[in-house]
Amino acid sequence: MTKTADNINPHIYEKGSEREITSSERDEDLQDEFDDREIFDLIRNINDPEHPLTLEELRVVEEKNIIVNNDDSTVLVNFTPTIPHCSMATLIGLSIRVQLLRALPSRFKVTVQVSEGSHASEHAVNKQLADKERVAAALENNNLLQIINQCIAV
Amino acid sequence: MNSIWFKPELAEEIINNNEIFDQTQNVVTDIITQHIDLITLVENMEGILTNKEPESREKGMRFFTKILTELPRDYLTVSQVKFISKFYIDRLKDNHRVIPAVLQGFSAIIEMKNYDMETSGEFFSLLFREVNCQSQTRQDRYNIYFIVKKLMEKDIKYMKSLGPDFVYGFIASMDGERDPSNLIFLFNFLPEFIREIPLGHLVEEMFEVISCYYPIDFHPAPDDPAPVTRQDLATALSPCLCAIPEFAEHCLVLLVEKLDSSLRLAKLDSLRLLTDSCKIFKPESYTPFLKTLWSSIQREISHKADEELKFAAHEALSALVSILSRTANTDQAFENFVKGILISMQTAVAEATTVAQFVHATKVLLTAANGSKESCAIITKSMIPAILAYYDFKTSPKLQIASLDFLGDLYDLAKHWDVLEQTAVQVNELPQLCLTVVSQPIKDFQVAGFRTLIRVMNVLQTDLVVPFVEVLMYNVQHSQDDELLKVSIETIHAIAKKYPEIIMQLLVTGRCDIENLTQDKTALIKRLNLLSNLASIDEFTKVIIEEMLKVVSAHDEEAPKVIEALSESMSDISLFTEKKITEIDSDHGLVDSVVEWILREINNSVDVSNGFVLIANTIASLPADKQRNLLAKHTDNILDKCKYNDKYYLILESLYISVHQTVYESSFDDIMKLSLKLALNSELDSVRTKACILVAHFLNKAEFGQKFELFYELLKNYLTNCSKDDEELCPKLILLYGWITKALILRGSDTFLFWLQKIVNTLSNTQYSKQGSEAIKLIMSDSPNYLSSRQHCRTSLLYRQRMFQNFAKLTHKLPPLEGAANESYLLSWAYVFEKTPKSVLNNETTKITSIAIDSLNYENNDLLLVMIDVLCYFVQAKNAVISGSLQTILPRLVKLSRYVKSMDVRIKSLECLYEIANSYRTSTLLPHKQDILFDLAPSLDDKKRLVRNMAVKARTRWFMIGAPGEDKPN
Repeated sequence: MTKTADNINPHIYEKGSEREITSSERDEDLQDEFDDREIFDLIRNINDPEHPLTLEELRVVEEKNIIVNNDDSTVLVNFTPTIPHCSMATLIGLSIRVQLLRALPSRFKVTVQVSEGSHASEHAVNKQLADKERVAAALENNNLLQIINQCIAV
Repeated sequence: MNSIWFKPELAEEIINNNEIFDQTQNVVTDIITQHIDLITLVENMEGILTNKEPESREKGMRFFTKILTELPRDYLTVSQVKFISKFYIDRLKDNHRVIPAVLQGFSAIIEMKNYDMETSGEFFSLLFREVNCQSQTRQDRYNIYFIVKKLMEKDIKYMKSLGPDFVYGFIASMDGERDPSNLIFLFNFLPEFIREIPLGHLVEEMFEVISCYYPIDFHPAPDDPAPVTRQDLATALSPCLCAIPEFAEHCLVLLVEKLDSSLRLAKLDSLRLLTDSCKIFKPESYTPFLKTLWSSIQREISHKADEELKFAAHEALSALVSILSRTANTDQAFENFVKGILISMQTAVAEATTVAQFVHATKVLLTAANGSKESCAIITKSMIPAILAYYDFKTSPKLQIASLDFLGDLYDLAKHWDVLEQTAVQVNELPQLCLTVVSQPIKDFQVAGFRTLIRVMNVLQTDLVVPFVEVLMYNVQHSQDDELLKVSIETIHAIAKKYPEIIMQLLVTGRCDIENLTQDKTALIKRLNLLSNLASIDEFTKVIIEEMLKVVSAHDEEAPKVIEALSESMSDISLFTEKKITEIDSDHGLVDSVVEWILREINNSVDVSNGFVLIANTIASLPADKQRNLLAKHTDNILDKCKYNDKYYLILESLYISVHQTVYESSFDDIMKLSLKLALNSELDSVRTKACILVAHFLNKAEFGQKFELFYELLKNYLTNCSKDDEELCPKLILLYGWITKALILRGSDTFLFWLQKIVNTLSNTQYSKQGSEAIKLIMSDSPNYLSSRQHCRTSLLYRQRMFQNFAKLTHKLPPLEGAANESYLLSWAYVFEKTPKSVLNNETTKITSIAIDSLNYENNDLLLVMIDVLCYFVQAKNAVISGSLQTILPRLVKLSRYVKSMDVRIKSLECLYEIANSYRTSTLLPHKQDILFDLAPSLDDKKRLVRNMAVKARTRWFMIGAPGEDKPN
């Protein structure tokens, strides 16, 4: 990739701390429900395609932009590109989708969207990410899959 | 006497017969035994040494050289050596074919005892004139360098007198050397050469010749068995480049240029060279380059990912600051340099939005401050006010805490360089900041504030003590958080050391109300903890201990709490030294009071267990004679009482458990017998265990020789008299065997094998195999409460390895086991594996892996956890046995990933699956990929979050296998 990054000097934020293990999580008999934080932990360490930084450090994903509903088995992730004309937005969205596809039980219906008003071509990106056929087709492209795998490899 | 070398035909023979070279040893023998004179030998060789054919002359020289190298070094006389040297020097003019033999011969000659240094000059002038070093073979070049080095070692004075022609000749001969091992040889002795031999006008030439190698770019040939690495060459070259101060200008120009290179290695070498050069060059040499140097260092130091480069940059900066500080009083350059650093880093600090950025900037400042006393003073003076302002200005808690840590570090440096007085105005502000920090009732702030206060305690002024004590006392009485409580007590302790009177007045007699200790029941335990901690400070010991013991002797209902607090604080050896404890016991009769208290309360429903710990710990700290006194005082009384009630034995045990190895009384035999009896027969669990422990301690500590034999006999006799058929006795016996084995193996006695064998035998018995494995667990585990050096026991470092080997040997003979017995057998192995250092397991991989794989079929948490852990270890080491049995292991691990009874087992087996994906070749794993991905899906919906986390880790890793973008070779 000879192309220079869209946002050369992004603002870097502090990494949050690891989730603390509570005593109820150590209790064999209690059921731990999926919560926003757990979904956040799944995607916070995805690398940005342009920088050696995680989505968390760039505040592309934030815990408050994730909504989990256990009873309906739905997950909604809103992500915020660092700049409104970021050409990587689709790729970032795809990486989040793929990671959740692999890491969440199949009962969950996952929706990944650009946060409202944070991107120039918001609707196009959302449409692409919601289209199952197009996501599947993208994953058959080896070059693309390679970039995604490199982004989500921890 | 008819060997060929006695005749003139020798010349012919050397030309025609190559095998004659094998006989040089015989020639040498003949020379030494004086059967033949060296001159006669040379005469016999005349035909060949003066032959017209260079080929033959070469052979002749080679033959003669071989003889020279094999002759003893002190055999030849002065005139002989001189004659031969002349001859060899003369031969330098000969055909190029002859030169290698000449060089080799000459390097043998200079090693001789009677070698005359005077001939060296002639040798070198002829050598440099007639022989072009770089057109010789590798070995011959080496010989030339070797001769120079050897002669320098022999007579440096003479070599110095040789003058510029010699230096020039030497520079010319090494110019262009490209063999790595020759270069290493050269680099290793060049610094000495350059330092010792005056270079005169040739400084620049010399530097040019060396610097052309810099920075080293070299990759050893892959088939080289003992390669010279790039790093070796680079490390050796650096001292050559900065060998003498005269090199400074050339070297720094070069260095500055290479620092700007885009090659990482060039930068790394330059930074290291800069560090090295600071030991040699004069401070003034750096002045013209300071600006560029700092900008280069700053660039490398702010590198995000490359730790090695960053470290080298820090080293270089520290060295540079340290050398420049020598001119601090005469030259403005140093101050300007440090101020430059300060300005750039203050900007960086001000712009920092994350802790990482902040720490990075402050680290540079700390490195600069660490470089010299002067820089430390400048930086401390300007940074403390800056950070104080920064603290108020930035609102991020993490950054505020990081700035506190930085101030603490800076204070430590100021203390180290002894500039506290110069910087008193600034440094004295620190406690005030700490007070501001701890006044916020947030745990992280308070912990950081108190930690920093402890570091800067020396500058705490009296007026701040009261406000601090207010906050601290509030914490001590109300805080629910263990960490905060601990830090608060530590802080009070530190303040009390500095201001004992104030604390005594405020706390001990004031807030804690020592005289009416138990009146106020609220937060009593916390107050007691604080007081017993303060008792370790000399000023407080008397008051506090006296009051506490008063409570104990009054049999107040709060006495158990007092004892607990005392026992907890006094077991902290860093707080209460042995000397302190001895003093407390002799002044206040601590042990006596506690024993008396226990005797009174033991039959009431009062918890006296802390009393036993306190007695044992106190006795452990006393010297041998005090121990004897205490034992003599109490033993008879308690022994009597033991006859009626086993409980009293517990006091006895706590008195005897920690005695020194030298303490031995006649009563020991009786106590041993009593212990054995109770170990097997007492109704009380606690008494049985304690009795076993005491037996083990006696066995472990008994003096080598007669005393040990006596104890050992006593034990054996007692046990043989036990009834063999009593089924109730068996489990207790097996446990006792475990204790005995542990005591013996720890003292390094071979007798442990006998007892271990007994335990191993029980493993094949379905009825008792469980106890057998318990005994093995006991042997492998350790605890600070028994058989440790704190109780003056003998300990052996490698006993677990020994246990592992012997257990393997003994179990080898066991018959095949089934069912419960096999489970216990595997469990015993689990206990052994768990504690044996993993590196020891590497010797027996095949056996261990098969045991571990077998174990995966049993539903036993302890067993599974250890065995999967062992498997993980071998997987990480890419063990081949496991990769061969993946077909067996993978389904078993998958099954365990849904193991209902324990989440730890589920997590561990998922972890193992992750490690497998991480370690083995793609080709091995790919056939299993789809199955595993399918099998792991249910774990993603496990009811425990921790299991799900590990399942995600494992499954996403398996997705990567063979996929584009996987970061793994093959």
